[in-house]
Amino acid sequence: MQAQYDITAGGFDPALVRRYDVAGPRYTSYPTARQFGPSVDEAVYRHAVKRSNEDFIPSALSLYVHLPFCKSPCFYCGCSRLITRRPERIAAYLQRLHREIHLQGQHFDHDRPVRQLHLGGGTPTYLDDAQLSALFGALREAFSFGTEATREFALEADPRTVSAERLVWLAELGFNRVSFGFQDFDSLVQQAVNRVQDPEQCLALIGAARQAGFRSVSVDLIYGLPRQTEAGFTATLEAVAAARPDRVAVYGYAHLPQFFKAQRRIRNGELPDAGLRLRLLQNAVEVLTGSGYEYMGMDHFALPQDELVEARIRGTLQRNFQGYSTHAGLDMVGLGMTAISHVGDVYAQNAKTLDGYYAALDSGRLPIERGYLMTKDDCVRADVIGRLMCYEELPFSAIERRHDIVFREYFARELIALMPLQADRLVQVEADRLQVLPRGRFLRRALAMVFDAYLPREKVADTYSRVL
Amino acid sequence: MKTQPVEVTRGLREACMSCSLQELCLPRGLYGQDLERLDALVDRQGPYHEGDHLFRIGDPFDSIYAVHAGSYKSYTVDSEGREHVLGFHLPGELLGLDAIYPGHHVCNALALDTATVCVLPYARLSSLASQISGLFTQIMRLMSKDIADTATLAGDFTAEERLAAFLVGLSQRFQLRGYSPNEFNLAMSRRDIANYLRLATETVSRVFARFEKEGLIAVDRRALHLLDLPRLRTLCESLGSR
Repeated sequence: MQAQYDITAGGFDPALVRRYDVAGPRYTSYPTARQFGPSVDEAVYRHAVKRSNEDFIPSALSLYVHLPFCKSPCFYCGCSRLITRRPERIAAYLQRLHREIHLQGQHFDHDRPVRQLHLGGGTPTYLDDAQLSALFGALREAFSFGTEATREFALEADPRTVSAERLVWLAELGFNRVSFGFQDFDSLVQQAVNRVQDPEQCLALIGAARQAGFRSVSVDLIYGLPRQTEAGFTATLEAVAAARPDRVAVYGYAHLPQFFKAQRRIRNGELPDAGLRLRLLQNAVEVLTGSGYEYMGMDHFALPQDELVEARIRGTLQRNFQGYSTHAGLDMVGLGMTAISHVGDVYAQNAKTLDGYYAALDSGRLPIERGYLMTKDDCVRADVIGRLMCYEELPFSAIERRHDIVFREYFARELIALMPLQADRLVQVEADRLQVLPRGRFLRRALAMVFDAYLPREKVADTYSRVL
Repeated sequence: MKTQPVEVTRGLREACMSCSLQELCLPRGLYGQDLERLDALVDRQGPYHEGDHLFRIGDPFDSIYAVHAGSYKSYTVDSEGREHVLGFHLPGELLGLDAIYPGHHVCNALALDTATVCVLPYARLSSLASQISGLFTQIMRLMSKDIADTATLAGDFTAEERLAAFLVGLSQRFQLRGYSPNEFNLAMSRRDIANYLRLATETVSRVFARFEKEGLIAVDRRALHLLDLPRLRTLCESLGSR
């Protein structure tokens, strides 16, 4: 079955990619979290929430809960997580989390239903059933949950911590979306990253999740891991594709050992070079699109009937901290250590350390430590970048109407900067729109970076991962 | 001998063209001393910030105000401390008229965003009225129109009718001032609208959401786009023409 967006038709030119293979942000937000600073504190955030309650139709809510604990370290991990085997550490965290949930819930009007919920981490499923149940109950009490038919309640599940029975229980609790981290089935790779999982058991979970009632099952894979080979990764891809999860996310490993301690356990010499990384991604694209998955852009593939594809058709696809999301226009509430909220024009991020998080909540304060207040220019660029990351077309009129600008004048410099990318057939600049061409669908970040007002001033270097 | 018309002084600004009192501020046929006297009336005060009160209940009355930029909400507070919104005042609209008779203000006027007002001290206005024809008539005309406006809201109308009437009314008011009748950014909150129309806050949003679904309006935060004004008008036909 020929998928709608056939990357291979555009050609995967290594020379081209090398030219654009510069470090770049993932644009899960704009401005990126690097711009966050002390200008946003609890008072600023609460004011933004109050204002959002006063909109004529206040937006519904999307909650993100960060559960940072893991039993053992996966060496590739760049997430905010804490390794522990002590249950009292987890209990101490949950106690503060419950307090935060209660405080946050008070600030939002109750005719603003929670349409999305996402439990991330760490390992959310490291919590036991009682803890997950209590957490769910606390959220339901503090906020107003949307109707079961329309809401998306997702959690990340480590295959080593869930069984078919547990999935049934989680579905009964109220979750209807799940994502499993498979990474790679090659045992040599698994050993190199300390994430050893039985491929059969993993694959069986996909069907089990569906049977339990999960409406969308997602699988995470990673390319660029140490000891990865084309053959091994292709085998993984084919096995996953055959099991037909609704979505597959194929993340590129970002080797930044200077920032992430666990990554120092990965030997540089065992990492794929740029060329192999490229081929690994190309294999992912070929196997997945060849078996019917649509390429969404960035890291995501989805079956044509999946809601992400529907959202793209409807025009409600957007990008947020969890990747691609079906709901544009929701205010986001981040709960837990390091979690980020986005309400109105304010980004607010919680304390990045356990101490900071506990100290704030123990004195009855929200643990907001930094953030960003968007300017009009930020809002325009966020709109442009968001669309470039999600869609094939960017009609100028959409931006002009919303932000009261003349696109060609406002972005005169950026349109000139796009010329080399147009010459390389990544994008077509037309009279009234930008067209992302097939080759450009892989290098959306390069397109987005043109509109990023903060990049020239940043030390681009290797602070961000490579574009692919 | 033919009198030369006096040039409009620098104190009379372009924005005044659409003000309720433009005939007062930019009269035709007034020359020299009368015009200068009038110009001296148009003092601008501000900028006031969101949350600033222009006057409060009990403040002695000395001036009428016309909103020059921004918007105001007039409200009272009952014995239980609950706020009652009396109205919203857009650029060109008047504040303080209801203080004329009692001699002090009977409501509070709150800036909903950054605002400036034109101050017309009543004391001087009265004395000028006897010298400048049409001046007093203008104020009387405006006062009776204002009173007629608020009366329409009382009565037993559905939430849809009240909100449709509110939107149609705003559209007309914006159009009178020279703004677009279909697209406007409002400074009042949904809570204020609910209070004014005597509806629950959630009801306002529910009705707006329904209007949006039916293609009557488009809502973005506090920006409104009226997509089908004729259909909105038919919704409030039972309230009589305004």
